[in-house]
Amino acid sequence: MATSAGSWKGLERMSVEQLKAVKEQGDLEVNLLQESLSNIRTATTRLEIASSALNDLSLRPQGNQILVPLTASLYVPATLHDSQHVLVDVGTGYFIQKTMPQGKHYCDRKINLLKSNFDQLLEVASKKKNVADEAGVILQAKLKQLESSS
Amino acid sequence: MASSSSASGSGSASAVTERRGIPGAQFVEDVQTYLTQSGLDVGSALAFLQERLQQYKVVEMKLLAQQRDLQAKIPDIEKCLDVVATLKAKKGTGEELIADFEVSEGIYSQARIEETDSVCLWLGANVMLEYSLEEATGLLQKNLDNARASLEVLIADLQFLRDQVTITQVTIARVYNWDVHQRRIQQAVATTAQD
Repeated sequence: MATSAGSWKGLERMSVEQLKAVKEQGDLEVNLLQESLSNIRTATTRLEIASSALNDLSLRPQGNQILVPLTASLYVPATLHDSQHVLVDVGTGYFIQKTMPQGKHYCDRKINLLKSNFDQLLEVASKKKNVADEAGVILQAKLKQLESSS
Repeated sequence: MASSSSASGSGSASAVTERRGIPGAQFVEDVQTYLTQSGLDVGSALAFLQERLQQYKVVEMKLLAQQRDLQAKIPDIEKCLDVVATLKAKKGTGEELIADFEVSEGIYSQARIEETDSVCLWLGANVMLEYSLEEATGLLQKNLDNARASLEVLIADLQFLRDQVTITQVTIARVYNWDVHQRRIQQAVATTAQD
């Protein structure tokens, strides 16, 4: 609360041009943060789908008949060759062979990391939004004041 | 100057009137004649041309989106054909194929593909059909040919459209310049009359 009051006082001292700049900068940062939050949400959803797919795959016995996607639109009947191991894409062209539990653990760790990042970003975004809103309110008040004085 | 001295009409004789629903732009050789024939004043003519330009831009956006879709589709069909050809080649050898397939994004598993006579093709709209290898090759080849033909037509349409955009932009510039020129003449006449 004290910091908010301090920032309010700081904003009060600013000129109209400075307030406009602060508001624009704040809005821009909030938009960027919202975009980042959206990307994190998408990535989390993808990893959750991957985790549930691994769970589903681990329940299938080896030699089970499945339709395998060889391209996005072509599937062939095949049997599961190794139901104990999976290849995990860890980025930059590297793939690591992991057991099913390790694969699930990897996905869960990633999900937790993204969720913690999401929470932190959300906090920062709300603070930035508050500052931008405060700047907007003060700007409106100052503009009204200028109108009435002229 | 923008206004051409030749008064040979408003459009060139070889101008294409339209192509697949895209109206052709008229090349204005003489602005005065063009305005007289169309019965428009300069402001209305410019507004009409600007509107036509916007319409061209909208059509161009649609065509570019279609082009992007086709350019993404063609490699996918080619890949499918390659896979079917590989399966055909392996047929009868008794050799099994071990394939890494994507379980979900970033997760891959291994599958053993034994000798198969058929493949399943995803046709869209929640429809998947099983085809023999020969039928699949035929269908994919037909789709590939159609996609390539469509892409060629689309590229030609885009080229035609860009030509029309250029012609329209030039016409706008010429009409505007002609108007400026006329105003200057009127101003000069008014000045000499005052003197």
